[in-house]
Amino acid sequence: MKYQIVIAGFGGQGVVFLVKVLAICAGNRDIPFLGTENHGMSQRGGAVSCDIKIGDFTNPVIDKNQANLIIGLDSNESLRNIAFLKSGGTMVANAKSDYPKIPFNTAIVDANTKAINEEFPIQGLNVYMLGTALASVEDFPFSVDEVKKAITQMNAKVAEQNMKILDMAIENIKKED
Amino acid sequence: MKQTLMGNDAIAWGLIHANVDMVSGYPGTPSSEILAGVQKIKRELNLDTYAEWGTNEKVGFEVAYAGAIAGKRTCATMKQVGLNVASDSLMSASYIGNLGGMLLVAADDPGFFSSQTEQDSRVFAKFARIPVLDPSTPQDAYDLTKFGVDLSQEFQIPVMLRPVMRVCHAREIIEMDDETHYNPNKGEFVRDVPRWGAVPRGQRFDQGVSQLERMDIIAEYNWEKFLKPQFEKCNGGKLLIIASGTGDGFVRETLKDLELEADIVKVIMPYPLPVEKIKENFKDYDKVLVMEEPYPCVEEQIADPKVYGKNTGTTHKIDEMKKEEILKAFQKIDFYNGANIYEAPKIDLGFDVPARPPALCPGCPHRDVYYAIMKVFKKKKSIYPSDIGCYTLGIAQGAIDSLLCMGGSVAMASGYSIADPDKQVVATIGDGTFFHSGIPPLLNAIYQGHRFVLVILDNSTVAMTGRQTTPQREHQAIDIKKIVEGMGIECLEHHYSHEMQDNIDFFRDVKTKYENNTTGPTVVVVREFCILDQERAPDFVPNIFVKVDEELCVACDQCTTVYKCPPMAYNEDGKIEIDPFLCAGCAGCLDVVCPTDAFIIDENYLKKGK
Repeated sequence: MKYQIVIAGFGGQGVVFLVKVLAICAGNRDIPFLGTENHGMSQRGGAVSCDIKIGDFTNPVIDKNQANLIIGLDSNESLRNIAFLKSGGTMVANAKSDYPKIPFNTAIVDANTKAINEEFPIQGLNVYMLGTALASVEDFPFSVDEVKKAITQMNAKVAEQNMKILDMAIENIKKED
Repeated sequence: MKQTLMGNDAIAWGLIHANVDMVSGYPGTPSSEILAGVQKIKRELNLDTYAEWGTNEKVGFEVAYAGAIAGKRTCATMKQVGLNVASDSLMSASYIGNLGGMLLVAADDPGFFSSQTEQDSRVFAKFARIPVLDPSTPQDAYDLTKFGVDLSQEFQIPVMLRPVMRVCHAREIIEMDDETHYNPNKGEFVRDVPRWGAVPRGQRFDQGVSQLERMDIIAEYNWEKFLKPQFEKCNGGKLLIIASGTGDGFVRETLKDLELEADIVKVIMPYPLPVEKIKENFKDYDKVLVMEEPYPCVEEQIADPKVYGKNTGTTHKIDEMKKEEILKAFQKIDFYNGANIYEAPKIDLGFDVPARPPALCPGCPHRDVYYAIMKVFKKKKSIYPSDIGCYTLGIAQGAIDSLLCMGGSVAMASGYSIADPDKQVVATIGDGTFFHSGIPPLLNAIYQGHRFVLVILDNSTVAMTGRQTTPQREHQAIDIKKIVEGMGIECLEHHYSHEMQDNIDFFRDVKTKYENNTTGPTVVVVREFCILDQERAPDFVPNIFVKVDEELCVACDQCTTVYKCPPMAYNEDGKIEIDPFLCAGCAGCLDVVCPTDAFIIDENYLKKGK
């Protein structure tokens, strides 16, 4: 398998948490991977993106026109990373309905509004978007069970709440279909 | 044992598995997690290990180096610009050497992600005449950490490990020792004055001679251990690629992506190199391409008409490694004539996506202090030198005019006050940076009677690199105010207030003092907190959340240009809106910031129970 994912957002949204979950998924299946973080000087509120390359790779950076999937926790940050997506790739983004038309597969959900409506706590936005990717990306490299196991390994204390949010995101995508 | 680790954690485990029990250094991205990682392992395994931050890199280096003289296995960690600060000690240590082992980890930052220079520490190692190891992945970083400590003890010389950011902050599955059999050397200082206390000229000259001989021996060792086995497997042909560190991983992937083949030799120890032995192998190739970052360190050592790299304009000279740059280098030497597969298709979104430049966190008190300083010391009549730390991000508010290096603000303020006496010079420095290198220039300013205002922003943490502790945090007797008073001058003190007017009133008093003070600097310490500091922040943050009264907002840009808090942005109606997920509840914007008082308390938000 060779699969490259960019996760984009801003400081405080839990971008790095998602990369760690995916890394654990790969590790559990004994698939090699390389990941890296791009955050420069940003603290809370600054742009953050992470690359994870699953399979036989020798450097951690995703080049332009190479990613299979971008998970954008923020609309603008998803678009600012669009150059990394390759043709036939998928953009999963937390954005409003005015998200521009782009020549890729897309799964756009307005997770911010759901959080404002208190369907889930905002701290779970990252997990909600991961669930959205799981349910809407056909070639997503890991199964729901694998992701749940990794979430538990990551932080058992909040695993129950995270799994609820993950299931909610998956259900919401299924409802749309 | 397999474990998923970030490069810096891999180095931390490598140190423990190499029986290192003294680690000292100074935080700096991308190196900071190494020492923090050792502290974590120490706690988990209950090890008797010294792993503490020094007040600066020179101090950190010297603590570790003395340990290695006394027979311990030690390590000093820092970022590349930190090595500049430690370089005085390093240059001499390389002559004198050590009985135990000492690994110097200098983490480089090609691409300037969080550094003011792109300098190459491998070149520094060559300048200092110590061996340097260049890992290409976290696995390499683990292996070479262990190897480097052994090498240091074997040759009695400090050894440098030079990971770049894409190694420090990369993550992969590492194969490491199954068990930790921790058995550090016992420290015992052996008196040897001709060696440890070498004075010019005779003893130092002798040490210089043995330093040169040692490098020749290690270059030969480099050949036998690392290079010869690789050259023996080479087939010859059109192109030989010599790759150092990350260059190896990037070039291998590029070749695969482009379906090309070439012999690759990975340089693990870029200095000292067995130059002649490497060059003998060039006869089997038409061209030799060197891939390394950021400076042409290997390329310059093996310069030859067949060698292509940065100095021939073949590979990129600045910015980090990218496969696209390697592809272009292949095109330039006629090794690849196909398309640029790393070019993104042009997509017209119909609008420019706004960038999210680095900014102070929502709720950060630095923002309010800068705002107050600028209200009182007007921009047109002032010069604002500042320093390295989170507060550097005040540059987005227009609150900073110049930046140089750690501790540079204070003596720069001296210089500006002499050169342009009609302006009021107001310098800002954090508590970590003041302790690091801000004290000697303040002494100088008092000694020479330089007139400026120095504002010490004391949040009691090294915030930017991950909130490492500063001296006064754990030893409250070390107080900035007392240090300043100990130099014989007054230190004005202010406790940050979320009511902006209080901060402005304080700086009005500072201005009066400054105007009446004709004999030297006017020094201020502002007691603050870091909003991400879970220990201290809750005592300071009022948890008053804010929203915008759209009727009152006149879209004047004041808040988005001079206050610059990340949750504030224009909405579709052209009015400012506060992102409720980003607002930290600091209430700093309620007072003064909005000329029409459009920021009002969001009573509803309180129910979120923050």
